[in-house]
Amino acid sequence: MDRVMRQEELQEVFDQLLRDAMGKLAGIRLARLETAPSGDVCTVWVKFERGFRSSLALCAQSSVFTRLTQFMTQLDTVAPGDVEDVTKEFFNVLCGQICSRLYQETKITSRFGIPAFCHGRYQGESLKEQFTLCYSSERNEYTELIHQIPAAE
Amino acid sequence: MGKRIMVVDDSRVVHLQIEKVLEGTDYEVVACFRDGDNAIDQYGFVNPDLVTMDIIMPGIDGLETARVILEEHPDAKIVMLSSLAYDDTINEAKALGTKGFIYKPFDREQVLSVFDRVLGK
Repeated sequence: MDRVMRQEELQEVFDQLLRDAMGKLAGIRLARLETAPSGDVCTVWVKFERGFRSSLALCAQSSVFTRLTQFMTQLDTVAPGDVEDVTKEFFNVLCGQICSRLYQETKITSRFGIPAFCHGRYQGESLKEQFTLCYSSERNEYTELIHQIPAAE
Repeated sequence: MGKRIMVVDDSRVVHLQIEKVLEGTDYEVVACFRDGDNAIDQYGFVNPDLVTMDIIMPGIDGLETARVILEEHPDAKIVMLSSLAYDDTINEAKALGTKGFIYKPFDREQVLSVFDRVLGK
């Protein structure tokens, strides 16, 4: 039977999967914080197109995505294009894991679009933030995971 | 002679990761495509022993790409390679006639185990 997840449950799932993926796939340890990132940040985001009508964005200091790329490619020097490509693939994997977990919990099948990447902090049109999870890495770099829902809701 | 692998995934890092896990094995990546249209166009020319197919890609998705390739080449051996690892997607892929499913993030053992099974090694 379909089950609606409470916001706290959703936050717990996102938090657990993000920290797990960052640790295992990117070699970056995250700890929860209360403040949002600022300065030189980039964002990768997706829209869920089936099942859940929302958007998920990962915003972080550029150095986080550079380190993630170095770890995943095992290369010391990476070009900006590599950072974008690898970050999008990382987020693709993370969102796949989130969809799989949400399916286990709710039996609702969801799909998401191609991840997009930009410099700065992304705020989707006609979307409002439902919640934001903030983190600091072991090198004191900021990262946040932003869950957005249609502004009309 | 080594087995020829065709990789269909919009991410270049996945191409590199697959090449890396196949280093020193009997498998060789002979072609990589970043979207379904190119993969469909080129499949007949490449004529690989096995295809790894992502699901979420620009343009037509991997399930539709697999469907078209299998329609034109019923003997094609396609293994889905995706982070969308839940029953609906896996069942949809199986129903199309794909031969296996590898979950992202993948490791060497997982990839080789599926390739060996599908190619009867």
